[in-house]
Amino acid sequence: MGCETVRICCTINSRQKTIDIPANLTALQLLRDVLKLKGTKEGCGIGECGACTIQVDGKAVNACLMLAAQLDGRNIITIEGLGESGKLHPLQESFGKNHAVQCGFCTPGLVMSAKALLDENPSPNRAQISKAIAGNLCRCTGYQQIFSSIEDAIQGGSEEGHDG
Amino acid sequence: MLFKAAPKRGMMVNFAYRRPKSLAEALDFLSSCGNKTKVLAGGTDLTVDLRQGSAQPEYVLDTSRLDELKGIELSNGQLCIGAGVTLTEIYESALLERYTPALQKCAATFASKQIRNVATIGGNVAHCSPCADTLPPLLIHEAKAILASNKGLRETPIEDVASGPYESSLRPDEIILRFILKPSKDINFADFQKIGRRKALATARITMAFMARQDADRKISFLRFALGACTPTPQRIALVEDYLACRVPTVQTLWEAGGLLAESVLEITGRRPSASYKEPAVRGLSVRMLYPLVHVGA
Repeated sequence: MGCETVRICCTINSRQKTIDIPANLTALQLLRDVLKLKGTKEGCGIGECGACTIQVDGKAVNACLMLAAQLDGRNIITIEGLGESGKLHPLQESFGKNHAVQCGFCTPGLVMSAKALLDENPSPNRAQISKAIAGNLCRCTGYQQIFSSIEDAIQGGSEEGHDG
Repeated sequence: MLFKAAPKRGMMVNFAYRRPKSLAEALDFLSSCGNKTKVLAGGTDLTVDLRQGSAQPEYVLDTSRLDELKGIELSNGQLCIGAGVTLTEIYESALLERYTPALQKCAATFASKQIRNVATIGGNVAHCSPCADTLPPLLIHEAKAILASNKGLRETPIEDVASGPYESSLRPDEIILRFILKPSKDINFADFQKIGRRKALATARITMAFMARQDADRKISFLRFALGACTPTPQRIALVEDYLACRVPTVQTLWEAGGLLAESVLEITGRRPSASYKEPAVRGLSVRMLYPLVHVGA
C-alpha cells in the first residue's frame, strides 16, 4: 500500500501552517525534518528521555510519541517559540546564568517542561518542579543547576512583576 | 507544501490515518477494516510499536478526540471512567481521589508528565502489557470494561481483556468504551506501589494495589489486593486477601502474607532466573505497602 498523505492545519509558534505530510510521520520528524526546527531534539525516540518535549495546547508532550497527524487543529510551541525579538525567555536566561547547560542536548526539552509547569502553576515548590521534569534526562549536570535555574526564573519573574 | 520523508532508522511502515468524527463512524470503520487496523487512543505505546515494527497496520484509527470516550462520573453507585480519559485527567479528578485512591496514586506516578498528558486508561488496558500500571488498581475495584462494536455493547471483567501478555481478547471490530468500577466504600487504607529501575518512566518490574477497611477493634473487615507486572497478566491474589481477612494485623502477619504472595507468584510463573530477586522484592514491597495497617493508630 502506498503512503497516504494527510493534510494538517495547526499553529506552530504562533504561525498558522497547512502542511501535507505522510501519515507515518511523527510529530518530531515533522518539526525537525520538514519544518527544520532543529531545537527539538531526538534522544531515545521512545519517550524516555524528554529531549523532544514540546507544548501541544499548553501541555508538555513527547513529540516522538505522537504522529504528526495528531497535531491537526492544535496549538504547538517549540523551543524556537520562546522569547521574542532577539530576547531570551526568562527560563532560557536563567538556564544560562545558572550553568544548567553543559552538552546542551537535554536543555530544550527541560526548558519546555519547565515552561509548561510555570504556565500551569507560576510558583511551584521543589517537589512540583521535580515531578514536572522527572521525564527529562540530563546526563551532565546532576540536575542541581537545573532546579536552581527554574527556581531562579520563578523569583526573577516575580521581581520583574514588582518592578513593573 | 508537500514533503516526502527519507527512509531512516525507525521509519514506520506505510499506513493510512483515519480520525472518525463520532463513535458510530469509528465502529463502522472497524466493522469492515478492524483486522487491518490499530486503534490509537493516545498513541504513546502505539507509536513505539509502529517504529519498532511490532505493529504493521494498514490503518491507524485515531480515537483520541471522540467525546463518547471522555468523562468521569458517578451514577447509580457506580464509577464510570471513559476509555479516552488521560492519566493526567485521572490524577486531577476529585471524584477519583475520593472513590479510587489507589488508581489516583497510580496516575500520579505513571511514566512522566509528558506521557500522562496524552496516554489514556483505555490504551493502557487495551495494550495488554503485563506491566500496565492501571491494572492492579482497576482489579481491586472489580472493574468491568464496556466494549462497543457495531453489534452493540458487551461487558467483560477487566481481567479478561488480556488473554496473555500483549494479547487482547477484544474482537477486531471492538473498542473499549468505558470502565465501570465499584467505588471504594468506608475504606480507611488504599495504596499503589511499584518497583522500577528509575522513579519516572521505568517499565514496572512489580506493581501492586490494595484497599482495606480496618474496624475500630483493628480487625481487617475488607481487603482487596492485586498484583501486576510480575505475572503474565495482572491479577487479584485471593491467598493474600483471605489470609488477612478478619485478622488484627501485626508485622509478622504481614510478612506471612507477603510469603504467601511470593509463593503465588512462583506458582503462576514457575521458578525463573529472576525468582531470587522477585521473591524477596514482591514480599518486601507488599509489607511496605500494607504496613500502615499495623502502624497507623497502633
